[in-house]
Amino acid sequence: MTYTKPIFLVLFLPLVVIAYNLIPQKHRWKVLLLASYAFFWSISGKLLVYLLVTTGLMYVCGLWLNKKQNERNEELKNAEKAQKKIIKQKYVKKQRVILVINSLILLGMIVVLKYSKFLGTNINSLFQIMNLPIQMPIPSFIMPIGISFYTLQAISYIIDVYKEKIKADRNIGRLALFISFFPQIMEGPICRYEETANSLYEGKKTTYKGLTFGIQRILFGLMKKIIIVDRINPLILEIFNNYSNYDGGIMAVGMILYTLQLYMDFSGVMDIVIGIGEIFGVKMPENFRQPFFSKTIAEFWTRWHITLGAWFRDYIYYPVCLTDKCKKLTSWGRKKIGNYYGPLLASSIALFCVWICNGLWHGSAWSYIFFGMYHFVLILLGRIIEPLVKKINNKLHIDNKNFLYIIMQMVRTTILVFIGELFFRAKGLKAGIDMFTNMVSNFSLEQITNGTVLKLGVDIHDFIIIAITVLVIFVISVLKERGISIRESISKKNVVLRWSLYYMLIIAIIVFGSYGLGIVPLDPMYANF
Amino acid sequence: MERLIEILEEIDDGVDYENCTTLIDDGILDSLAIISLVAEIEEEFDVQIPTVEIVPANFNSAKAIWNLVVRLQEEG
Repeated sequence: MTYTKPIFLVLFLPLVVIAYNLIPQKHRWKVLLLASYAFFWSISGKLLVYLLVTTGLMYVCGLWLNKKQNERNEELKNAEKAQKKIIKQKYVKKQRVILVINSLILLGMIVVLKYSKFLGTNINSLFQIMNLPIQMPIPSFIMPIGISFYTLQAISYIIDVYKEKIKADRNIGRLALFISFFPQIMEGPICRYEETANSLYEGKKTTYKGLTFGIQRILFGLMKKIIIVDRINPLILEIFNNYSNYDGGIMAVGMILYTLQLYMDFSGVMDIVIGIGEIFGVKMPENFRQPFFSKTIAEFWTRWHITLGAWFRDYIYYPVCLTDKCKKLTSWGRKKIGNYYGPLLASSIALFCVWICNGLWHGSAWSYIFFGMYHFVLILLGRIIEPLVKKINNKLHIDNKNFLYIIMQMVRTTILVFIGELFFRAKGLKAGIDMFTNMVSNFSLEQITNGTVLKLGVDIHDFIIIAITVLVIFVISVLKERGISIRESISKKNVVLRWSLYYMLIIAIIVFGSYGLGIVPLDPMYANF
Repeated sequence: MERLIEILEEIDDGVDYENCTTLIDDGILDSLAIISLVAEIEEEFDVQIPTVEIVPANFNSAKAIWNLVVRLQEEG
């Protein structure tokens, strides 16, 4: 069962919504929790135990931290000013032990389940290179669904309690629902405790606005998924599985269409997830903000998978930058190489940590590490040459707010994103390098112009339908970028026009959707991470 | 407060720090500027700025940054 399957959309979700609204408010959270565990069980079965362990750990460690903080506060009440610093330091050490225990267990679970095969294979390769007659057995585990997402939520909760940004939750039911809420468990968004925990637990009745807005958003996500993602899939599979049969032009087509597919899939699922949240009166954080309008790669990552980027920023980037050693490096750097490049030294160390983690978070393969390093280098280079670009622009009197200049920046950023996604999707790092080399050194439009591209599972009619849908989504994105809320505008129209639009969207999905015999719908792509 | 304005001007001197209330929202202070600012403030005012305090509300204006410094000094 996934969010785009009919069993979920026409049976599971409506039943949960009905049960949720029939039950008294104070018990509604129990319906959501039960539905969340049933959803998890339907995909991962007994692996639900990992989610339960994570929940239990969050609960115990949170309260443990709170207990230490209360003890510290009691001691501080009676302490003189000189003693206060010593008491605080003593309790920081105690709390750090709890934090380390919690992180080791949570990260230990994900490392064993997600990375042990990758680590084992690479250690064995290393032994072979060193001519050592040792080969480790390579374990293989099945991962519970969403482990990469809910582990980050669990870690952020404990760190926030440790930092006293939030109080530890004494209600294990609320905590369990926060970590397991069924719409977000597969692909996020990665929520912070203060963003969703209370509204999930509150059990607000579904309102007419919440229901209609939620359904609209779900339909919009389904449009992306069924019309574009599934329709485009045969061509992507063919190009990436048999890349050696095609020229560079086809490689470029595969690279562009895969990026389009990934965006439509992930942002489409997010539309469905946020839409479901709206039905239950829960405002989930947005995960996309028109990413292809980014002027730089750094900006792209503040618009694409926003909650993951924000997580890395808050729990890796700033904590690394603000370690004592990095702060000393920043102060030293500012004196030696100036205000701009000085802090860049510490920032680049933190960025390296972020992008190694980002790459590995996506998967346990060298191609993902390459993907992370690719973005690290691009962001760092962007930072390094920024003053030079400003100088050149000033000398040449180029206005950086000029429309054409901005369009050029967006196109450049998009091309860099395409290249990154080529390596991301390729079957391994070697395949990625081969495909990229083929695209650059063997670029030709021949297989596009002679019609080969139309024989790879996506014909001219498919391309026309995809192009029209992309155009519609592009226009909506432009309006959103200009701050126009399309859904609010539609909701103010008269009932005939409003419902005509809804029916048009439903009919478009039914008529132009890619489903039926011979069509294998693609499971949500980010669920595999 | 005057010293804080001086520190901010050392980082970027083309901004009206007395009146600007959108230093983060408008991207005037980016992540590099924040790193510099935190290192400098900690050294100058003998405070520790924890990462949990690095939120737009605390850095959007010179006044907000100053309030943060004063609060951290009071908390010891």
